[in-house]
Amino acid sequence: MKDMIDTLPGIERIRTRFLTMLKTRQGDIASHALSAWETTDVDAFRDHLAAAQGILHQIAGSAGSLNFGTLGTAARQCENDILGFLESDESATATVPGEIMESLDTFVSLSQALLDENSKD
Amino acid sequence: MVNDMKILAVDDDPIILELLTQFVSAVGEHELTTATSGAEAIEIVSAGRGNEFDCFLFDIQMPHMDGIALTQSIRSSTRYADTPILMLTAMSDKRYVDAAFAAGATDYVTKPFELAELKARLGLVEGLIDARNSRTRKIFATQNLSGKTQAGNSSEMLELHEPISIYDVDNVIEYLAMENYVAQLSRGALFGSTTFAFTIRTIEKLFASLSAFEFSSLVSDVAEIISDTLANHQFLMSYAGSGTFVCVTESGWRPDMLALVNAVNLALARTELYDNTGQLLYVRVSAGEAIRLIWKSENSVMEAIGSAHASAEAASARHERAMNDLWLVEQRA
Repeated sequence: MKDMIDTLPGIERIRTRFLTMLKTRQGDIASHALSAWETTDVDAFRDHLAAAQGILHQIAGSAGSLNFGTLGTAARQCENDILGFLESDESATATVPGEIMESLDTFVSLSQALLDENSKD
Repeated sequence: MVNDMKILAVDDDPIILELLTQFVSAVGEHELTTATSGAEAIEIVSAGRGNEFDCFLFDIQMPHMDGIALTQSIRSSTRYADTPILMLTAMSDKRYVDAAFAAGATDYVTKPFELAELKARLGLVEGLIDARNSRTRKIFATQNLSGKTQAGNSSEMLELHEPISIYDVDNVIEYLAMENYVAQLSRGALFGSTTFAFTIRTIEKLFASLSAFEFSSLVSDVAEIISDTLANHQFLMSYAGSGTFVCVTESGWRPDMLALVNAVNLALARTELYDNTGQLLYVRVSAGEAIRLIWKSENSVMEAIGSAHASAEAASARHERAMNDLWLVEQRA
């Protein structure tokens, strides 16, 4: 059924816009992750992680529909990791667990690879 | 069928709104309006300008005003009390999905969505709008008729088995929404979920003696009493037709049905319900068994709900037979 998406007249324009936004979103996610890593203030720490989660949520919601399924799955995984952490008692320590940084790193690398691949086209 | 619905889609992600625009134009002659926030959506709806919507698509997770708060706000308007609302969500949003159904959502579509799924959901919405328009016409036709002549009974306009829309009662959702809710339940964890039902006793007699409007009001009043009785628990309830209300609870609570039915009947006795002529109505309910939903597939969850439904109707029939037998014994004595 996903093939049918390719028949929609404006789909290429949406893909292009998604990739343009991905560049900005990827930077914003990395920036929030680093800010969370550096801060010792618990509220600011949670706000930065929640902001990164919100952006990942948007990417996860649309990437699959545009045939960027791998990126969407990685974004969803990353989002779920952050949500799980924010709901746990551990988040009160204002320390980003290594698994979340790893998960974010995987996502950022994947999106960079996708952006590089599409910039060649 | 409604072929050209006016749809309002609300999502904070512009990519989703562009996708929906493409999808909706591909699946029919619908007219799509988009908004990027709950506040903007309310502004569009409030402005009206003769631009009334037939269907809403709301993202659940949005900053400031989420899709649940937006659904509550839209549902508070009489014009949109039963307009289909499809929520757009990710599978991981289960708790949001539950809250969305409780707030009045009709169904949900998971993101990332596909053309076929959206097409199927919009097709269901079209059917729902058609059926509802027909039912509303019937009820209001009888309401006008009973206002003038007091003539007619509900059987002339409504079918006893038809589900009726109930408004402004906490945790009461449309029957179609209940089916959709159950479908999503079966895809997730069912641990702690239980279904049970209540049937209004002698429903056929009440149906035959009341106008469609009176009957709808009666069903709504009983729904409110059941909902108030269950108020301390997490549940969703729906009127399934034939005087039966089906309930699903996910909280792990195992209801004591005897205590529950006694509490509902006590509340009914205290409330005193009347018909339009001021005649006191004797309304009581029977309850069936509480059925656990653990480890069931979508079909068997629906079957379990059907069993709860049938069990409540059987309890009501048994009660009626017992009352008749009692009366016969007294006659002989």
